[in-house]
Amino acid sequence: MAAKVLLIDDDTDFRAAVKSLLEGHGYNVLEASSGTEGLRMVVEHKPDAILLDIMMESTVEGYGVTHSLRYRDEYAEFSHIPILMISSIEESPDERFPMSAEVEMIRPDQYLTKPLDIPKFLRLLEKAVGANKAAVV
Amino acid sequence: MSDPVAPEMVVVIDDDYAMRLSCGKILTKMGLRVETFEDGARGLTGVATAKPGMVIVDLKMPGISGMEVIARVHEIDPQIVIVVITGYATIDTAVQAIKCGAYDFLPKPFLPDELRLIVNRGLERRRLALESQRYEIEQTMLKRRFVTFVSHQLRTPLAAVHQYLDVMKHLDQAADDPARRQEWLDRCLIRIEELQNLIADWLTLAQVEGGSLFKERIPVDVIRIIRDILKTYEPAAAAGNVSLETTLPDHGVFLLGDRNCLNVLFDNLITNAIKYNKPGGKVTVSATQARGEVVIAIADTGVGIPEKYLPFLFGEFFRVKEDGLKKTAGTGLGLHISKKIVSEMGGIISVDSQAGVGSTFWVRFPAWREADEIGNQNDARQEASIDC
Repeated sequence: MAAKVLLIDDDTDFRAAVKSLLEGHGYNVLEASSGTEGLRMVVEHKPDAILLDIMMESTVEGYGVTHSLRYRDEYAEFSHIPILMISSIEESPDERFPMSAEVEMIRPDQYLTKPLDIPKFLRLLEKAVGANKAAVV
Repeated sequence: MSDPVAPEMVVVIDDDYAMRLSCGKILTKMGLRVETFEDGARGLTGVATAKPGMVIVDLKMPGISGMEVIARVHEIDPQIVIVVITGYATIDTAVQAIKCGAYDFLPKPFLPDELRLIVNRGLERRRLALESQRYEIEQTMLKRRFVTFVSHQLRTPLAAVHQYLDVMKHLDQAADDPARRQEWLDRCLIRIEELQNLIADWLTLAQVEGGSLFKERIPVDVIRIIRDILKTYEPAAAAGNVSLETTLPDHGVFLLGDRNCLNVLFDNLITNAIKYNKPGGKVTVSATQARGEVVIAIADTGVGIPEKYLPFLFGEFFRVKEDGLKKTAGTGLGLHISKKIVSEMGGIISVDSQAGVGSTFWVRFPAWREADEIGNQNDARQEASIDC
């Protein structure tokens, strides 16, 4: 069965491009345009990997989604899903939350910048999905 | 950073038992926490663990000297205020201690009031220093966040275009889908336009802030400006099924300002009213002049703005973040620029809004002249008094 990838990004165009790319490589792609919608879809569809935009025009941004998935009880069964964070700016959580001791809690598995370097992105995604499947089995 | 509720801790280092005892008593009575040590070595260990706000140290002690204690305390925390007490007060030793980083000195013997005074002053200085340090850190973080945010806004459309082209190239076998290719190219053009708008707004803002957008201060007919702008947006309004209505006087209404700035201002407000409207909606622009004031209202029957966002509406890069709200292209700078322009011309901009019902933006300017002077029917006596 094709691996399911959830793409959470408020940029319709970026989603359209990445969706076509991934479908061309045999993935089943689900889309969400906000952090809130993304969290709902994680529960509903249990994806194999999540591509997550950091800065969104949404009440729940990228780091908020990561934090919820990893540390909130209602998402416990989804905490293992690998998260690839993507953003058009290179801003690590350390820069974003410079004085917080909780930075480690939201560090993503992978951090990628837009536009995606396609071969690198496909390689990382394949690895993430593989690791997730191994963890579930 | 120390807990703001807990009383400050003061460490007293003096080999004289009586001195430690009396200082301890006075300081405790002042509501401070106190720890006392009989020599420099113990005192420094105490400072490292207790993290006091202030250290009172005798300059002449066996073992580590008071001067050395000053230096070592500041190695632990440079924000600790140090007061030296000395029995052989000479100007030289006091100056030397202050050069080493002490805040002040107290010659022995001293009165309790003298100690209280110097401690209070020292702690107040520390509080101010910490506050300004916090403020500086906050400012630096804000600036950094702002730069990050701007580069994000600039890079997002560019990244979308880049990604489309890159994916198109990568999936070149998919080039046999001409419809998709066409759609993507159209989207690329739209995103490039978005980027151009953002850069244009950004430049306008820089010009407004730098004062170079205001080239002139001449009487400008605001009715003429509004009518011209409305004319250019007729096709856009019709496309969105939005009707444009006016309640404008037949004669000109003049205010003192820059024509270009007023164009930018009303262009922003009118496009917003069309853009954030609903199909079948209405935009009403009205203008009145009374009591030396020109009032222009731009009312729409659009999506409205939830009350909680109203205080931030005129802020830089502010955009309403509501999940499920239709995404509307915009730079988040239009209203910020508008507010700056209005203030620069001595006016006031405000908004009434109700989510789901619509918004009305009000702009008030001082009139260039009373309406009667430009041919309106008004109180003739007032006119006479102005002419005098």
